Amino acid sequence: MKKDKTKKENTAPEVEEEILDIPEDEIWTYQIEGLAPPKIGVSYANAKGKKATFIILISIAVILSLYFSVRALLNTGDLEYKAVDSGYELVQFSNNGLVKTFNVDKVADIDNSKIEAGAMIAGGAENEEDINMDFLTYDNEKTVTEIHEYAFNCDATLRVINIGKDVTKIDNKAFYSCWALQCIYVDEANPNYCDVDGVLYNKDKTEIICYPIDHDKYLRQEFGYTDLVDDNGNPMEELWGPTEKYDEGFFRQYNEKVRTYVVPSTVEKIGPLCFNYANVDTYYLPDGLKEIGTLAFFDCGNMHNIYSYVPTADGVSETRYTGRESLGGIYLSLPESLETIGSDAFTRDRGLSYIYIPENVKSIGHHAFWDSVYKDGSELKGITQMNIAADEATFKTYQIGSSWRPKYDYLLFKKNIDTVYNAERQPVE
Amino acid sequence: MSKLGGKVKWLFGEIKEHWNTPAEGKYVPYKEYKDIWLAVGSNYSGSKTLEYISFAAGCYLIMYHYKLPYVVFTAIALINMPLQKLWDILGWIINDNLGFMPKKTEKKLYTVYFFSMVIGIFLIAFPFEPYLNPNNWLVASLNTIRGLSAASAIKILGTHILWNGWAGSRNIFWRKKLVPKFGRYKYFLYCDVVPKCVMVILIGWLPVYAIKDEVTRVWVANLLFAIYNLFAFTNCLENCAQNISPNMQERILIRTYPIKLSHFLNSIMVIVIPIAIGFTRDEWADINVYRYVIPIIFITFATLTMIFAGRFKERIPQPPLKEKVQIKFWDGIFGVMRNKYKWMLNAVYLLDSLGNGMLAFTTVLYLYTFRLSGLSYGLIVSLVSFAGTPPDFFTPYFIKRFSYKQIMIFYYLSRAIGWSLVVATILLCGDNVTLCGIVCVIILILLEVTHTIPMSVMHDMDIRIGDYQMYLSGERLEAFSGIFGWITGPIASLVGLIIPILLLKFGFNSNWDVLFVDMSRVKIIVIPILFDIAGFLFMTIPYFFWDYDSVKQNKVIQVLKRRAEVTEKKAEEEGESVAGSFTG
Repeated sequence: MKKDKTKKENTAPEVEEEILDIPEDEIWTYQIEGLAPPKIGVSYANAKGKKATFIILISIAVILSLYFSVRALLNTGDLEYKAVDSGYELVQFSNNGLVKTFNVDKVADIDNSKIEAGAMIAGGAENEEDINMDFLTYDNEKTVTEIHEYAFNCDATLRVINIGKDVTKIDNKAFYSCWALQCIYVDEANPNYCDVDGVLYNKDKTEIICYPIDHDKYLRQEFGYTDLVDDNGNPMEELWGPTEKYDEGFFRQYNEKVRTYVVPSTVEKIGPLCFNYANVDTYYLPDGLKEIGTLAFFDCGNMHNIYSYVPTADGVSETRYTGRESLGGIYLSLPESLETIGSDAFTRDRGLSYIYIPENVKSIGHHAFWDSVYKDGSELKGITQMNIAADEATFKTYQIGSSWRPKYDYLLFKKNIDTVYNAERQPVE
Repeated sequence: MSKLGGKVKWLFGEIKEHWNTPAEGKYVPYKEYKDIWLAVGSNYSGSKTLEYISFAAGCYLIMYHYKLPYVVFTAIALINMPLQKLWDILGWIINDNLGFMPKKTEKKLYTVYFFSMVIGIFLIAFPFEPYLNPNNWLVASLNTIRGLSAASAIKILGTHILWNGWAGSRNIFWRKKLVPKFGRYKYFLYCDVVPKCVMVILIGWLPVYAIKDEVTRVWVANLLFAIYNLFAFTNCLENCAQNISPNMQERILIRTYPIKLSHFLNSIMVIVIPIAIGFTRDEWADINVYRYVIPIIFITFATLTMIFAGRFKERIPQPPLKEKVQIKFWDGIFGVMRNKYKWMLNAVYLLDSLGNGMLAFTTVLYLYTFRLSGLSYGLIVSLVSFAGTPPDFFTPYFIKRFSYKQIMIFYYLSRAIGWSLVVATILLCGDNVTLCGIVCVIILILLEVTHTIPMSVMHDMDIRIGDYQMYLSGERLEAFSGIFGWITGPIASLVGLIIPILLLKFGFNSNWDVLFVDMSRVKIIVIPILFDIAGFLFMTIPYFFWDYDSVKQNKVIQVLKRRAEVTEKKAEEEGESVAGSFTG
């Protein structure tokens, strides 16, 4: 009985076929019970007041709507800081498309009234070089001590960031996707951080924190590769291989100067996201490196070689490549000292063709080598085989994340590349 | 088994018997079901094909051939915006009067539109450049925008004014000519389809994209696309089919079967078009896509649409056009404002904006958490989206069994519960990708299964509200309902900023790769979902006040029928035309 009752309550009421008797002269005024009466061709009570109220409300709505649209078009830039115990934390730097050099030292402010109208339209300025930068001011009373994660996220204008002496905490993700960033310079008096030729390190250089994404552009300028031209004589910014004009030797030299990076021998950790998107062809990693952080070499499609070196007694502090002699003993792939490879550390690194996982590696994050192999026709390219120093049984006791090996398209699904355990390291050619 | 066999036999007999004449109490013979299926299918596929052509940065034609700076689209929108409100108001008056206005009003509108066209042509044709002071603040500002200049901005404004003048006068002219014959929803197909086909061909063949000077290329392209947009080929037959019967059950039946099935044609085209484009040398970047592929596909569907469009009609009980209620501006505004059900639905839409700006959860889950691609990705997407299809065929049953109020409250509560479970799964077992994935996919399937029936109900609510509006004001006032957009728009914009601002803080900007960062990905997914859950809970509130049930709807339809009857009789007695009338 109870069940029946519930069923009845939940069921939509049956449509009652009640026939209405609507007189001919009431067709426009007939009111259905429970519904508002029709108002057709009759005037409304207090119409003037209602019209006035409506016009005011609609005007406000239209003005707001116009305001939002104009706001979307104008890029005024925004700087957001948060007071912390030690001073101020830079939370968000939204560029107005004009700031190319920024100091993280004192709390800054953007005065939009000083920006030329044309320059304020997002992507609208035709000649950005001529724009007066007076709009950016710094308050000497307020010191910046921290940089929040994603503070400079996706900035496409900034080229140089100067870190002040009082900045003591920088999140690893602070400079994420700063596409045009060439150099991060740190005040020498800073107790926690330093830079080596525009690349950010912690003070004692045991951790490399950020290699700016467009650092190679700075190096091209440094080494005078600013007037490269293609075979038709058209200017070109970068060199991707030998051309009719630039032979093999020229290209090798270009690569060594601009696209080779030597990680100093003091470094034990490559920080998360450190080299992501970097245009570096060859890396020299020190035998002493223990950890490669999460996404450290993410999307480094131009990376073709990883070498490790056993530093000489004096150590290696120079990050520019000057020849293998200065580095001591060289061997192929990751250093023997390595213990940890973070998740997605080598994701999308399709330029690499050889990887050797040394004996000491006990932890590999998930998807560490994801999308680093691909099919070119029927040929498999990229990292096609995983060479592991440990034997299979031992390796399986380690902390290994899911899908850590690259997978390639196989029939309609994906297949892991082959794994070789007890592998010998390939010698340097 | 024999019971099922008996039912099939009955259904077959029923269809055969009422193939040409509708059953008692119904209005649509089964033959029209077939025509709806073919007509709506062709119309929908044709309109979807046209989505490949638009004056926007995302259009491949613009992207690969016109190569216009991104900023110009925003700038043009801003140039056009202030006057647009005026055109909107004029359009509402014409549309809700179906083009039939008092002579005096019609004359005034034609005058406004004629002068707009003259002014528009003058602004486009006259060389303003020598007369503009380059030191003037506004002129200097406009000159600094990429792809624009002060002189070209005037031409763009001229295009806008010309377009609206032209479109407005066509609107009155063609409505008066064609609405009596073809009804209010599909009349424009008959005057627009040929010029639309011509414009689709011209868009691909006119070498406007070859104009070297970027500023000239921008304003000429804007003019070309404006003319292209003058002729409509929207999915109007579906609207027409949704209003095909005053019988509520019949409406639902048609929405559930012929309309739903008609969309399968487009599902095939979604696969066929990319394959056809794959045969061109440069694929999407190949101009032949716009010279051959799109025009051939569109013209085929346009032809099919026109063949079947005339074989069914809308059946809204309404007086003859000569006797219809005249809607003045304030009548329209106050009319829609008096409709409390419109307020309720707009409140729901407004609350829905709480979730605006969040990323598609499934995309993030499949591509960034599970790293699916190729067949596995396609399979899971198809599986989840297909899950909603079978329940849809049971919509008529559910609508008989439950009230709209119950269904909608259940719908939003089930969203809130489902997404809460997703959040809990991500937070509690996010580390175990397989388990987390399986649970999430099961929840997504359940959400999809319970999605389609409420969507049908929601659409039918709109139609019912239109009937109620007709009872209140003598017209459906579909155009004047746009005023709600004016009111809710800025609020929705403001509320819609919340999630993008939060996502920005968690690292989501223009680079989607940030979703590979585990901790950031969790925040980017979870926090917006929490807002969405709050939105779903709030969205149930307006439905608790929903008291427009089937009994009331039946009575409204009776009133509308009676009005149609009486006015038709009167028109006949006075010897006037009864065109446009439907008494049910």
